[in-house]
Amino acid sequence: MPQLTYLEAIRQGIWEEMERDPAVFCIGEDIGIYGGAFKVTDGFIDRFGPERVIDTPIAESAIVGAAFGASLTGMRPVAEFQFMDFIGCAFNQIVNMVAKAHYRWGAPAPLVIRGPSGGNVHGGPFHSQNPEAWFVHAPGLKVVCPASAYDAKGLIKAAIRDNNPVIFFEHKYLYRRIKEDVPAEDYIVPLGKARVAREGRDLSVITYAAMVHVALEAAEILAKEGIELEVVDLRTLSPLDKEAIAETVRKTNKVILLHEDVRTGGIAGEIAAIINEEAFDDLDGPIVRITAQDSPVPFSPPQEEYFLPKVSDIVREAHRLKAY
Amino acid sequence: MAKKKKVAPNALVRRSSNSRGKHVPQSTIENTRTYTIADYRLEKPSFNIRQIRKDDEVRYEVTGDLSTPAPPIRESKYLDKKQCLEIYRWMLLNRKMETALENLYKQGKVVGGVYFGLGQEACSCASAYALHKEDWLGPMIRNQGSLLVRGFSARDIMMQYMAKAGSPTKGRDASSHFGDIEKRNVVAPISTLGDLIPVLAGVALGARLQGLSIAVMTYIGDGGQSTGVTYEGLNFAAVQDLGLVLFVENNLWGYSTPANMQFRVKDLAERAIAYGIPGVIVDGTDACQVYDAAHEACERARRGEGPTLIEAKMMRMKGHAIHDVAEYVPKSLFEYWRKRDPIARFENYLVSVKKWLTSQENENLIADVERELEADRDFAVASPMPQPESAAGGVYCDSNCHRIRPKYGVPKVRVTRSGIAAPRETTVHLR
Repeated sequence: MPQLTYLEAIRQGIWEEMERDPAVFCIGEDIGIYGGAFKVTDGFIDRFGPERVIDTPIAESAIVGAAFGASLTGMRPVAEFQFMDFIGCAFNQIVNMVAKAHYRWGAPAPLVIRGPSGGNVHGGPFHSQNPEAWFVHAPGLKVVCPASAYDAKGLIKAAIRDNNPVIFFEHKYLYRRIKEDVPAEDYIVPLGKARVAREGRDLSVITYAAMVHVALEAAEILAKEGIELEVVDLRTLSPLDKEAIAETVRKTNKVILLHEDVRTGGIAGEIAAIINEEAFDDLDGPIVRITAQDSPVPFSPPQEEYFLPKVSDIVREAHRLKAY
Repeated sequence: MAKKKKVAPNALVRRSSNSRGKHVPQSTIENTRTYTIADYRLEKPSFNIRQIRKDDEVRYEVTGDLSTPAPPIRESKYLDKKQCLEIYRWMLLNRKMETALENLYKQGKVVGGVYFGLGQEACSCASAYALHKEDWLGPMIRNQGSLLVRGFSARDIMMQYMAKAGSPTKGRDASSHFGDIEKRNVVAPISTLGDLIPVLAGVALGARLQGLSIAVMTYIGDGGQSTGVTYEGLNFAAVQDLGLVLFVENNLWGYSTPANMQFRVKDLAERAIAYGIPGVIVDGTDACQVYDAAHEACERARRGEGPTLIEAKMMRMKGHAIHDVAEYVPKSLFEYWRKRDPIARFENYLVSVKKWLTSQENENLIADVERELEADRDFAVASPMPQPESAAGGVYCDSNCHRIRPKYGVPKVRVTRSGIAAPRETTVHLR
């Protein structure tokens, strides 16, 4: 089985979907000859031509609007945002035009909006954000945040085949840092299904994207003390896998909700409410949130390190929860 | 925006620096470029609306010549008798449907407000009439006539306004906010302005990927064209040579704000120069001018030559919506534009100038339209409201609710080599 980075897995997933389905095309800024700011579409224009690998003006609303329009004719556009921080420029198109289309007038919008999000690369306030919760709050959208190379490929393929608009957040810290076996044959990872990244009996960490790896690191440390952490990787934030959330709570009775996104209004609050509704009687301690602080992402490395959730935060909170 | 200063002619020089850093004066005359805006109008209204403070009140004042009589209808280069009569019937249906909606509103049968296209029927109906079956339309709130031409019935629009279960959106949205991607090729508008422009451009892109150049038409107002997405969408269509026909309906008022507080250019058609596309001005109350410009722009679109911006000048003859009595509009402006009523002008053209319609035939046609509307109105009024639970579901397209496939045929795929290419070793941003 070939070893692929997270980035190569996404690249291969889109490539294979373009080979498989002539209705799939890519649209975005600098994705053609340049191959994209992070090189996800490197080489695509030579294979698929400028007709299906379309460089656009710097106009995010036009990119989303045009992708939506093309989807109305039965195409399956994959729109790249150079950084997901810039998705605010197209917010109205996404939440008012695209997300509401099927409910309002029965128009399916099979398009993917994908791009890099997340910090720990010293990108500062405009190249490091995790804006996924904005879109979880817009019914009609699906929101995907892969943590592994295997999932990244399987999820991008599922997103392209889905009949709904999917916002696909690629964590840029993971792009070239993780590498794993990825099957060469065609497979998908279904949207809306979480996975258990590590089994454990003592307490659960529910998380997604780059924080899965932080949680796994903490689990290694805690295992040496005899505390077995279960790490649940949500993979998809919308729809949320409520069953997987309830199941891990029923198993360990203690839960830490971890995300790189800022605290207030982040998905952890929603998951806490779901646990309250679905598995309140199974809790043996308070639901703990570990998140970034409520501020923009700071630029300077020591400040960014302060801002981001860390392995030591999980170890500390696990010790606290263990006492219950 | 910088104010123009009066300068002596010999001071009109532009300084630019060459590679040696020396300033080289250049005559502006030899650097002057000219651009052409086609103007189909037979009259060029000359008046200004501006905010003035009078006594203890700020209000709008109109200055200029408002006494000129309405010009004749411009002979169409393309329309024959049958087509003119069809457009006239759509315009009658458009207006009389809106009158019926106003009455339904007064009877308390409409949910929310009513938006009118009074005075803009020629623009809606004659523009949409230029589209072919495979073309697409994205209407704005006032383009209810365009929806009729595209194949929706007055019944559909009335049921939208009454929020009925049988409305095209099954009660989920109001007014002209509906569409049809299967048969009529209409994109449902949203309330924010300019957002249809990139969407319609994308429709043309999708069709082109499937091997067909089509015309896609949408509208924007003198108010809506101020939005950023208007620029993004039209610029994208321009660089991609997509067959977008953008009607800029300059009806002088964006809600209560006059056009001169929206933009500084003399005519909005001048905007076309900045996009590098053709710009055309038409009298929006003259159905023949509207059709001719729309037809030429659609043909250009179908030839794959790119977008066209058409500015249609007219006036919104009611308030923003039914609640707005538009007291801010100077009365003399209403009088001026009432003389330019698009239906009265077209009727006079067909009955008195071309003699394509006798008075009796005209009366019969009007009665026929009224009969159609009466039946539609009765049906819409009698039809049920939706069940409360019908608000649930349909947020997502389930695996079986739509079969998604390219509408115009399988996209042409260029094959150069098989298998994924190895990525180049390269430096990237924020590793």
